[in-house]
Amino acid sequence: MDFYFGLAQIIGVHSLLGLSAYVVLLTGQVTLAQAGFFAVGAYVAGMLTVLAGWTILPALAASSALGAVVACAVGFPALRVKGLMLVIATLAFGEAVRLFFFNFDYQVAKGGVKLGPLGGEGFRQIRYFPENGWTTMDVMLFIWTFVVLAMALLWWFDRSRYGAVLRAVGEDELAAQSVGINLTAVKVSAMTVGGAIAGLGGGIYAHYTTHIEHASFGILLATFAIAYPILGGLGSVFGTIVAVVFVQGFLVEGLRFLGDWRNLLFGALIVVVMNVRPKGFLDAPTLLWIRKLFGGKRGAA
Amino acid sequence: MLDFLQALSDGVLFGSTYALIGIGFTLVFGVMHKLNLSYAAASIGGAYCGLLILKVVAAPPLVVFFCAFLAGGVIGYLVYLTCFHFIPISNPLATLMATVGMLLLIDEIIVHMTNGMPLNYPALFDDVMLRWGDYTLRGDLLMVFAVSVLCMAGLLALIYKTRLGLATRAVSQQTVAAQLCGIRVGQVNAMTFVITGLLGGIAGAMIGASVGTLSPLLTTPLTVKGLIVTVIGGLGSVPGAIIAGLLVGGFESVLQQFRGVTERDLYVMLLLFVFLVFRPDGIFGPKGGRD
Amino acid sequence: MNKIDVTTRRKTAYAIAAVFAAGTFAAPSFAQEKTIRISGFGAKSGVVRSFGINSEAAMLAAADQINKSGGVKLADGSKAKIVVDYYDDRCTAEEGISVARRMAGTDSLIGVGPTCSNVAEPLFGILQKKAGDASDSGLQFPIFSDVAIKGGLAKISEWSFRNVPNEMTMYSSLFYWLKQQHPDLKTVYGGVEEDFAHSRATWYVVMKDRATANGYTVAGESKWLLNDTNFATQVREMKKANADIVAISAHPFTTCGVLKEMQRQGVKPKLLVGLTSTSSLETMQGCAKQAEGMMIPTSFAPVNKEGKAAADATAKFKGSADLHSMAAWENMFILKQVMESEKISGNPKDVQADRRKIRDGLAKLKSTAGLMGTTRRTEDREADKPYLFVHAKGGSWQVLHNPL
Repeated sequence: MDFYFGLAQIIGVHSLLGLSAYVVLLTGQVTLAQAGFFAVGAYVAGMLTVLAGWTILPALAASSALGAVVACAVGFPALRVKGLMLVIATLAFGEAVRLFFFNFDYQVAKGGVKLGPLGGEGFRQIRYFPENGWTTMDVMLFIWTFVVLAMALLWWFDRSRYGAVLRAVGEDELAAQSVGINLTAVKVSAMTVGGAIAGLGGGIYAHYTTHIEHASFGILLATFAIAYPILGGLGSVFGTIVAVVFVQGFLVEGLRFLGDWRNLLFGALIVVVMNVRPKGFLDAPTLLWIRKLFGGKRGAA
Repeated sequence: MLDFLQALSDGVLFGSTYALIGIGFTLVFGVMHKLNLSYAAASIGGAYCGLLILKVVAAPPLVVFFCAFLAGGVIGYLVYLTCFHFIPISNPLATLMATVGMLLLIDEIIVHMTNGMPLNYPALFDDVMLRWGDYTLRGDLLMVFAVSVLCMAGLLALIYKTRLGLATRAVSQQTVAAQLCGIRVGQVNAMTFVITGLLGGIAGAMIGASVGTLSPLLTTPLTVKGLIVTVIGGLGSVPGAIIAGLLVGGFESVLQQFRGVTERDLYVMLLLFVFLVFRPDGIFGPKGGRD
Repeated sequence: MNKIDVTTRRKTAYAIAAVFAAGTFAAPSFAQEKTIRISGFGAKSGVVRSFGINSEAAMLAAADQINKSGGVKLADGSKAKIVVDYYDDRCTAEEGISVARRMAGTDSLIGVGPTCSNVAEPLFGILQKKAGDASDSGLQFPIFSDVAIKGGLAKISEWSFRNVPNEMTMYSSLFYWLKQQHPDLKTVYGGVEEDFAHSRATWYVVMKDRATANGYTVAGESKWLLNDTNFATQVREMKKANADIVAISAHPFTTCGVLKEMQRQGVKPKLLVGLTSTSSLETMQGCAKQAEGMMIPTSFAPVNKEGKAAADATAKFKGSADLHSMAAWENMFILKQVMESEKISGNPKDVQADRRKIRDGLAKLKSTAGLMGTTRRTEDREADKPYLFVHAKGGSWQVLHNPL
């Protein structure tokens, strides 16, 4: 059972990562910087609980806030860059963040032992959860509370004017501008929301792995961040969750019985899925079908 | 001063390897307006395939390079089929993700076939060092630079002097109009991938020869460097890719000399970010227009 | 309307029933043989794939040998065969933790691994810090590491144990021996892979420190990153320093790159020293010619009967024997000894109690039998293994000096 709770934890944190990319992808900006905001959140939350003795909730609030601030700062210069160039610009930023932490030393002696990030060696002993007696199930419920909140927030966006505005900018910027939408406000705000969610996810990540280092926040994580919403489909927040379950649940853990073939199938299945369902798992026809399933009885009359 | 010049020339010469990879990236982007993230992995894959000939017969380096060249073309076509042929053009995200999938797949195939171990790669002129007193220049890198210039010349000739090149330019500028003129877009795109694949095979072989060993560790940094070079040189510009490659090589070497290796990449990334913000079209990029 | 006729349906039903019956009745015949499970885990992906393959092969070979001589004696006197399963953690922290939880959820008694230090550190961090501490909700599953070698990890938790060589002792001994053999050599220059925890720590904390302690002057060090490809600047610095001994603390890929650049620039130190884990097949495949003469301390070489037998057995399972995989081999025999002395029950119902017994048993050990001789076990659950020096000669690693 513990294993399934642990897997649910991983799915939860990766969902937060995916959702942070989802909201930015809606505005048509392909961002590889989410891993950078994730890293910022991880180090900040870790330092606050380990070095400053904060409890988990304020630490996560701070990590989320800082993720939002950094994302906002990136959002403005990112406006100057369009399309696939943005992919590279955000990749550069994400790498710059990782390299910053590679060079970052901040150790404080606590009870004879030096704690804190130590450049290339990473930041160890972030043991808030085990030290405070949180079980695997407790942590899982904690993580999923945040995931549900994030999903609810984004779901609410989708049903409000803000969501329509986001998607309008994503579809056609020129048309959106011509109806009076302020592109800067929309794009930067989407980036900020994404940064806040990523910062939160990163803060949790630091605590459930207990040891973080710069190499964990590299290009692979950044690619996973956008893989989830693209694989899942930009039609709905649930798409991202489905994609995370597919990748972490099915591809990583479910295919273990295949032994060595698992890794080969990983890349191959992603290629296959993109060829068969270019708009993602939950693309428009699928969503319509699901809505009919749930709302059909009401709609029939 | 000599230190600076030496670091600069070391870096610039090594930058020819980046230039070679950058040419392929920029060509695919210029023609199809899509990013092929699996390009560097495919090039290294081609280089590995070149080594296969050594299992059969003890061949000289040129034969190995030639095999890598051919293998690159084949892999390029496979990437086209799996990532670009079937996915509708209006889905740039899907092709991006498909190329990511191919990158992971090619990496894993390499790891499985070699158990992740580094392999010695044959080289030409790797013992040639030109010297002027204390100042040295690597002979093999000069050859790589010569190869990149030759490739560039060959490509430019192909693009501007042949019918295929004309068709490619037509497709990249106005796909629909090109189709109306009777150009088979699918075929042109496939040929672009085969040609960039062949180029990638050479690039992979040259990189293997310059580094001396092939390892799966090469793919990710090369992908990043290739992207950086493409952006700085201007998307779609082949001469831009070469100059940008040399520039990036020189810049990172000089930075390493003065700020050390741990900060080197940080500054390269910041350079890229700044470049993108202030000069998004790159050095020789196409002017304006909608993306 | 059902088009399949009654006879066919009946036949199909009988066939399915027969298959089910065969399945259920076949099982008991296997269940009569008692088995206990030991799980291995490590990297079978990426550049470190060979480590996982070798460790798995060594574990399977050891289990095979133990099973052939009867198996492990349980508390009730019966004997159980060891079943080994192996998980791939792909050298990532999250997957390593997930794999550990997965192993803990099966009837597995202990996990042998991981390969990567960057998995070991987080994994040991989620284990219960002090065994039996009710206020600590960490995982209570013993881990006995064979490969992850970054210094000082086992002390993170009382459930984590390691059987990896102590680099401090080995390099101290190496530099001391070198001073005796070549008293005219005075200076050392280092090369270090900065972004990998193990190689970085080994240069600064071990090699540099021990060289100085043995009377050498360390002229400095050149740095590079794990996947760097251009070493011109670093080797130039090395050339300027013109030290007698060059010590490279890096893994095979960059070590080969640096050695090739040294050849190009004509840098020929009198002696060359390498990193423990570089004494493997990888270096020979990458740059046998340039690595000629490189000296490395290691905790395994097939120099005695036992070592050769272990290497042969492992080769049958398609793995090669080196200091890492042979640690996994040793672990299996140590575990057999501990399981028998602590009298584990071998019942799937009591698996947690058995795990605790194994943990306590491992913690009690003062020494274990290794392939090279007796290994001392330390207070903080590490090992002090006997070692020898090898050097690269003619494309393979040969014994240079055996202090034993």
